[in-house]
Amino acid sequence: MTVPPRKNVLLAPVTVTPTKPLTPSHLKGLLWTDVMFRATAPLAEVTYRYSHTTYHVTEQTVGFWEYLDRTHGETDYTQLSEEDIGDLYVRYRSGEQHQSADALRPYRDAVEHSDWVHPASERLLRLWAGHYERLGMHDPGLQEHQPPGLGLEEMIERLAAVDLVLDQRHGGGPVYLDLTRYGMPLRRIITTDGRPNYLACALRELLPLVPWYDEVVLLYDRELDADYQLLNRVLTRLGPTVRRVPIGRVPIDGKITSARHGGWRGHTAGALLRAAADVYEGDDTGALRLGMRLYFIATLGPGQSQSFRHDLLRQCLTVAARLLDRSRAAVATGAGDLSGTLGRHRRDHTYVDPYRLTCSLLGKGRPAPDPGLLSAVFL
Amino acid sequence: MTSSLDPLATAALAPPPPFPLSSAALLKSAVDRVRTARPELADRLDLSSPYALSAVRAGLHGANTAGGDEVLAVVVIGRLDLPGWVRETCAFAHALEPSARSAWRRSFTRTVYLAGSPHNLRERFTFDHIADDGSVAWAGPASGAATATLRRLLKAFESSHELTAQPSATVTVPGRPRARPPVHRDLYIATAKVTVTDALVHVNHLVAEAVLDGLIGPGDRLTLRFVPRLTGLGARFAMLRVDTDVHRPDELQAHAGLTMEV
Repeated sequence: MTVPPRKNVLLAPVTVTPTKPLTPSHLKGLLWTDVMFRATAPLAEVTYRYSHTTYHVTEQTVGFWEYLDRTHGETDYTQLSEEDIGDLYVRYRSGEQHQSADALRPYRDAVEHSDWVHPASERLLRLWAGHYERLGMHDPGLQEHQPPGLGLEEMIERLAAVDLVLDQRHGGGPVYLDLTRYGMPLRRIITTDGRPNYLACALRELLPLVPWYDEVVLLYDRELDADYQLLNRVLTRLGPTVRRVPIGRVPIDGKITSARHGGWRGHTAGALLRAAADVYEGDDTGALRLGMRLYFIATLGPGQSQSFRHDLLRQCLTVAARLLDRSRAAVATGAGDLSGTLGRHRRDHTYVDPYRLTCSLLGKGRPAPDPGLLSAVFL
Repeated sequence: MTSSLDPLATAALAPPPPFPLSSAALLKSAVDRVRTARPELADRLDLSSPYALSAVRAGLHGANTAGGDEVLAVVVIGRLDLPGWVRETCAFAHALEPSARSAWRRSFTRTVYLAGSPHNLRERFTFDHIADDGSVAWAGPASGAATATLRRLLKAFESSHELTAQPSATVTVPGRPRARPPVHRDLYIATAKVTVTDALVHVNHLVAEAVLDGLIGPGDRLTLRFVPRLTGLGARFAMLRVDTDVHRPDELQAHAGLTMEV
């Protein structure tokens, strides 16, 4: 019997900029990606690319850093909570006074030429790493220096070689990603004063990576769909099959708002973890990890129609505890076929669909979940 | 989207008496432009001061100035070389059918400037004129609906640069001279506090309207001359592009001028 070669799969989710607390929308995306990564790993060679370094140069991050240094000077950020730093970010964004590209240059230079990270973001990333740990999520290198494979100029040259860029900088204009030949709208990626947006950063990171993979999975907020359609088209041009997986955000009290507007108090990852700890008083890490996944993946689903509900999250934690009990009791009946179980939750793609897989754990009359599956993917 | 619906600006003076750039001359030039494009509009308006003109302009910007007949041209810019663009603007305007000429003139040669690669768009859109080197393409003039898809796909042309003084350059208008022997004129362009995008608007109106009015024709030579301001040049202007003064918003300024034959 010949075994078909394992496919190379790249998971490239949109990153959360380390300028604010993790909100339910962020948690949903992160848990979704984590389950996809861990469920696909037994079936294929999977790379989970998640580089904060790549996106530090975007306006919202370096602009925030410059704002903090200008308005707060010497501050011991190691003493601040993620909510404290989030409050500063909300204040920064409400001012909306853009600094000149010159004012931000020292920060961009530091990111481009060293592994420097502003202490406020360093603090957030350290706190997030703690959340990842508690939630049992694979840490894709939150605090590591992971520069993109291409510099800004190299990225533009690479696009120019395939005639996908309109570079008007010589006349004081912007740089556009140009897919107009495919009937897709022109998209500015670098402003007239030289500021790259997140799409420019994504291209610097992904253009050199994707030719090495058979399948590239882009996970992103639904709001970014237009940009990700463009990205899909560019990356497909370089060879691999590209899959777009848009994930709906989680409304709070019926409203979907960006974290820069605040409104996340009581709903941050830290707050949810503290509340979960209160439910159990003792230590039931397994129920916490599985319950969070049952809620953010199976209960909320790929859409964004349901507002966040503490009561439903608590209910999922209880269901998770019960499932774990049943699973432990079923150990004696023998281990299941992990690859076979996981493989059922793919369609024509190589990656495992986190929603279908997680939903398969639920439902009346289901057999107890295989402990091997739970520990490989959900705990 | 950068549009250039500005009725105050370019006026053909026929026969063109050379005039110094006095406030009165600028105002007369602006009024003449309205009169040439839309005589019925000029007759209804009291255009006795620059304030009146700015009020008129505000009204015209807000209203559909030419009723259902308004047309606009779209210029898609991949790479901009100002002298080459002037030459091709002349070629585009000259090639228009009589009906398109008069409709565009009545719409104050309204033009929208978009960033885009003519090369990448040519399979999806039919342009009415493409520069020899493919750097710029023109569509229209036509109703807004005719170019709506193109305008949705592209972005307004942007350039943060101020127009800088550059060496003068002479271009020859393409085509074989027919109606009259070719002539040579200077085209002065003001640079102080004017961005490249502003300059496009000013020069486009002046050059296009000069072509439509027969002041510029095939075989003519135009020498582009860049100066901070068109003050005190001693040049004899046949046509001016007049708009708001870059320093004094209540006053007028000549942003570009086409001289008599040199």
